[in-house]
Amino acid sequence: MSETTTIVCVVCPVSCAVQVEFEGNGIIRTDHNQCKLALEYVNDELFDPRRTLTTSLAVDGGAKPLVSVKTDHGIPKHRVMEAMQSLSGLHVQAPVHIGDVIVPNLIGTGADLVATRNVAAA
Amino acid sequence: MIKMRSADVAVIGGGPAGMAAAAAAKEAGAGSVILIERDEELGGVLNQCIHDGFGTKVFKEALTGPEYAAIYADKVRDAEVETRLEATVLELTEDRVLTVLSEEGMETIEAGAVVLAMGCRERPRGAIGIPGSRPAGVYTAGAVQNYMNLRNLAVGRRVVILGSGDIGLIMARRLTLEGAEVACVAEILPYPSGLARNVVQCLEDFNIPLFLNTTVAEIHGAKRVEGVTLASVSGMDVIPGTERFVPCDTLMLSVGLIPENELSRQANVSIDRVTAGPVVDDAFQTSNPGVFACGNVLQVHDIVDYATMEAEIAGRSAAAYVADGTLPEAEIQIKVGDGLRYVLPSHVSGLDAVNFTMRVTKPDQNRAIVFSSGGKVLRRLKQQALSPASMARVRLGKARFSDTREILVEVGD
Ligand SMILES: Cc1cc2nc3c(=O)[nH]c(=O)nc-3n(C[C@H](O)[C@H](O)[C@H](O)COP(=O)(O)OP(=O)(O)OC[C@H]3O[C@@H](n4cnc5c(N)ncnc54)[C@H](O)[C@@H]3O)c2cc1C
Ligand code: SF4
Repeated sequence: MSETTTIVCVVCPVSCAVQVEFEGNGIIRTDHNQCKLALEYVNDELFDPRRTLTTSLAVDGGAKPLVSVKTDHGIPKHRVMEAMQSLSGLHVQAPVHIGDVIVPNLIGTGADLVATRNVAAA
Repeated sequence: MIKMRSADVAVIGGGPAGMAAAAAAKEAGAGSVILIERDEELGGVLNQCIHDGFGTKVFKEALTGPEYAAIYADKVRDAEVETRLEATVLELTEDRVLTVLSEEGMETIEAGAVVLAMGCRERPRGAIGIPGSRPAGVYTAGAVQNYMNLRNLAVGRRVVILGSGDIGLIMARRLTLEGAEVACVAEILPYPSGLARNVVQCLEDFNIPLFLNTTVAEIHGAKRVEGVTLASVSGMDVIPGTERFVPCDTLMLSVGLIPENELSRQANVSIDRVTAGPVVDDAFQTSNPGVFACGNVLQVHDIVDYATMEAEIAGRSAAAYVADGTLPEAEIQIKVGDGLRYVLPSHVSGLDAVNFTMRVTKPDQNRAIVFSSGGKVLRRLKQQALSPASMARVRLGKARFSDTREILVEVGD
């Protein structure tokens, strides 16, 4: 027996209220999503909720005090706080470039923490 | 001594709108384009928006604010736009003379065309008048975002948020991730003013309560905030007996943005009462020919991609104005009908397809946005959900404008 539910896609501000029909651990159909980015999100949200973690880290020797970072994939939602705690006190050495891997395989999630901003050396 | 110089196109403000307008003007053939930004780097509000969700329309992926900004900063450089940082436009005359202040002193620029892209500023506490003391610890959400994400400064341990605007919701999550406790978000309206996406991923993910029909009736504390009194409201009036004290050391306000249009007014540009931004046609030309507007200075955008798209049109229009000395008349009037707060542009030339942007007055479901002319429906677009938090965007093809003087836009069935 398939079930139907509505999940708000959080990938972008459009916030599509996506209608999903699913059975067991597979999606049969989605409706009301403006784009395909909803498919992976909705699938994860049903069976393995994930979030992209974005935060910022202190920079040593940089033209700016902070560099912003993100996980290059979603990490399990229930491990977001744990991931944040693992970063506490971490400093990054300038220069930093967009896309530089700051922490590979963050707390074993398989996602890399990468820089989202350029910070030149001071 | 005031230096004098000229430029074909001058763009005021180096946020996403200004960057896209400047690059587009140059690519459309304008000889000299100057982009003036008061901050030390390009990017505008995107630099402090370190969360992701930018670029899903243009790039088909969810970038962070700084990543999206970096792509356009590169475009500006590649297009050989002259960029002036830490330079503030102090004055703009009706005939397009800019007064700019920078480390090099004062300078005036005579521009062939001007693009206004100054963005928004936050509504301050004074604008909503909460009674009670005036202790330290009351901030706007954008200021907190700037302190935490750009300057590495913390604001408080236990925070109450007044207003459910997007910046407030985004910062509720950010504060929680950084170890502060967000006691609750109070919203005076019966529905959240921020996007559904942010209610889900910023509040529900972290079990932060959202109280609707609720306001801060009083702020307590002598030197520093010690707590607030929350109260339920009916309409805008406090319901007696519903007051309750919530201890906190910080009150953060997220009560909306106001387009920054002082320069527009100086240049004698007509301002719309509802959007608080310039009145424009489909070339994004204001009531003062040769002056264009785009991005948040025109209307508050929730999706940066759409700000970029309208800015590219504004930039190309500015280049065309410089080349031709005038732009086609825009004589088809757009009327705002039932269920809508505003529709932009307010008049169109009919020579090209137009992407109309608008906001509805209240949340609704399974309705349609209807364009009609003289009772004849030109386009009806079904909308599964409508919300004042989300800007609606509807395209009308060029063919729909033939034989029309006036088009009515409304929420219908
Ligand atoms: C908290 C928050 C979260 C958001 N989240 C998302 C999201 O997830 N996804 C998304 O797509 N969009 C999001 N947006 C929307 C998006 O950021 C905006 O639509 C966009 O930044 C507007 O760009 P702008 O260039 O018009 O304004 P701004 O970015 O505000 O840029 C205006 C620039 O003009 C400069 N300026 C102003 N006056 C002068 C002057 N007199 N002289 C010189 N320079 C001047 C300012 O310094 C500033 O740099 C968010 C916005 C906010 C505030
Ligand atoms: S489905 Fe596409 S447009 Fe809709 S919220 Fe998700 S990413 Fe945005």
